[in-house]
Amino acid sequence: MSKGCYEPPENPPPSSYPKKLANIIGLFESLPEEEKRENLIAYSEQTKKYEPRPDETFDLEDVRKDEECTDTVGVFLKVHEGRRAQFRITLGPQVQTLTKAMTSILCKGLEDSAPEEILELPADFVPKIVGGQLVRARSQTVYYILTRMKSVCKVYLNRLRAAQQSA
Amino acid sequence: MSEPLSQYAHPEALVSTDWLAEHLNEPGTRLVESNEDLLLYDTGHIPGAVHIDWRQDLQDPLVRDYIAPAAFAALCERNGISPETTVIFYGDKSNWWATYALWAFRLFGHTKVKIVNGGRDKWVKEGRPLTKDKPKVTPAEYPVPAKRFDDEIRAFYEDAHAQMQDGLPLIDVRSPGEFKGDVTHMPEYPQEGVLRGGHIPGAKSVPWKMAVNEDATFKSPADLQKIYTEGCGLKKDDEIVAYCRIGERSSHTWFVLTYLLGYETVRNYDGSWTEWGNRVRAPIERGEG
Repeated sequence: MSKGCYEPPENPPPSSYPKKLANIIGLFESLPEEEKRENLIAYSEQTKKYEPRPDETFDLEDVRKDEECTDTVGVFLKVHEGRRAQFRITLGPQVQTLTKAMTSILCKGLEDSAPEEILELPADFVPKIVGGQLVRARSQTVYYILTRMKSVCKVYLNRLRAAQQSA
Repeated sequence: MSEPLSQYAHPEALVSTDWLAEHLNEPGTRLVESNEDLLLYDTGHIPGAVHIDWRQDLQDPLVRDYIAPAAFAALCERNGISPETTVIFYGDKSNWWATYALWAFRLFGHTKVKIVNGGRDKWVKEGRPLTKDKPKVTPAEYPVPAKRFDDEIRAFYEDAHAQMQDGLPLIDVRSPGEFKGDVTHMPEYPQEGVLRGGHIPGAKSVPWKMAVNEDATFKSPADLQKIYTEGCGLKKDDEIVAYCRIGERSSHTWFVLTYLLGYETVRNYDGSWTEWGNRVRAPIERGEG
């Protein structure tokens, strides 16, 4: 482990999700497959709601096109007082429907969580939301948004630590 | 049928979006959407279209193979398809999965098949209607096919290997980076479990994308001939095998060679690079080829 770089603990405690995310997971787990799909579609249609607004400023902005995703994705992080994270996301038009749905779910579910909590969030909740039928080789980008959010949180925490060390 | 579709070798296998708009819900036809984006159909589809999922509906859940004839008959019956029904396929990604589904239908001997030129993207870009309403389908009767026609249009590892040994045409339709062995995944996609990069020795690199225009429609017969007939030196009686990673992009090229250019013996090696690139002792070539 490199000095000064935030890394999650090697043996994280038993998985516990942020409350808002846990509520969404609980809802999806209770739904039959058909209603799961309907809810995923509904979430996929809400991505505009989580785009940056003209009057907003951010602590970190990360807009890029990766090999792992079909289009450009922008992740914008604002950490409010009390270490409450708020995400905004921009998605290119070629992003797949499942990825869009996961974007809205994560923006809503991780709102007000601490960056450290997001960084340590296990990805095992994704199949609980998406359902076994939709997770397959060609739908792995469903994990992509979470990876990008964690990446931004890691940079944020590293910068914070560096600032504290130099102060 | 309007020009230039009539100039293709089998123009009956292609319809334009204009034609489709005028023939929605025509008796004796069934419109089928098949996508890579698994939820795309649910977000809105062409009115009257049913959805066929390339994995859940067409592939065996346990063995890496296609469904058995009885399962195919059941799939057709619940989607209102009889042996006399003309099935018109379209989908996302320039019709990758639509041509894959069409090829799978051909495996079961269903020959009344067509592709919507330009697929879903063209229909949407033209501002044509989409609906979330799933059609009320009256189940049809579909006798269980006596066999699958794997021998005619499907190649297995042994076939591709023999093709390589005999110096017969092998068309690698993946991206140049995949062909050269620089990457083990296709651009914009996650790794799909391939251990080694490269291509089958002797294969020619002709990325699938060369066959389509910007709007996802197929290139003209003259342009396609330049690419495959002149560029690759393919002759009408050649036995041709096409492959990619898992068989969907090569389905697209299989459709081009079979229906648009009229090559008579074209097989899709659906095991493709996820089989060859992982197979113990399978020979691999790297670089330009």
